[in-house]
Amino acid sequence: MTAISGDFRREIEALGEVFAFLETFVDGQEVDEKTAFCINLVVEELFTNMVRHNEGGGDQITVSIERQDNRVHLELVDTDVEPFDPETVEAPPVDAGIDERRPGGLGIFLVQSMVDDLNYDYEPEGRRMRITVTKTLEN
Amino acid sequence: MFEIKRDENGTISLHGRLDASQVDAARAVFNQATESCEVDFAELSYISSAGLGLLFGTQKRLVDSGGGLILINLSPHIREIFQIAGFDNIFEIA
Repeated sequence: MTAISGDFRREIEALGEVFAFLETFVDGQEVDEKTAFCINLVVEELFTNMVRHNEGGGDQITVSIERQDNRVHLELVDTDVEPFDPETVEAPPVDAGIDERRPGGLGIFLVQSMVDDLNYDYEPEGRRMRITVTKTLEN
Repeated sequence: MFEIKRDENGTISLHGRLDASQVDAARAVFNQATESCEVDFAELSYISSAGLGLLFGTQKRLVDSGGGLILINLSPHIREIFQIAGFDNIFEIA
């Protein structure tokens, strides 16, 4: 079991640092290319969601990642925020044609579609939101 | 690292990683497209919902005027993202 954790500025521009952090993990754990793509996408979608929808939150968002056997566990923690459960986001009508589709709503849907498990919990006392994700390695 | 280029034929080429921090740079080029054109993904290694949203908005605008984007050279991972998003119903993917 190898876990690493990092604190990142609550800004979209911090994504480059987040990806560099993830690359360190992916390289160290020899994670396959498809799983690495998924890890990047999942963290980006959850991170940007926190930045955009948790206005007034703390200065930093904490990202942690660890490997246990053939699974990767991700955790994102945001503080001083209102509750926002990503599992309540309505799925886009992916079978619809372009006239029936609207922009947005894809990020969380992609995350839900690509991982084994997505959990959310909120601690009202610390106004602390935690999202955990489990992803089985593809290869 | 992300780069976007538009050649004399109107083909838009994407290079690197199109994430939420790069989408504004990409939008400036896609906004110049006023008729059907190809988008070459050969050198694109990563895209997230931010990039998908930009492509969707461009496609909607072009379809409304009788055109559309033609997406070429998608990697297997990116093609899978398009399928999950249902974008294979919305774009011509060659």
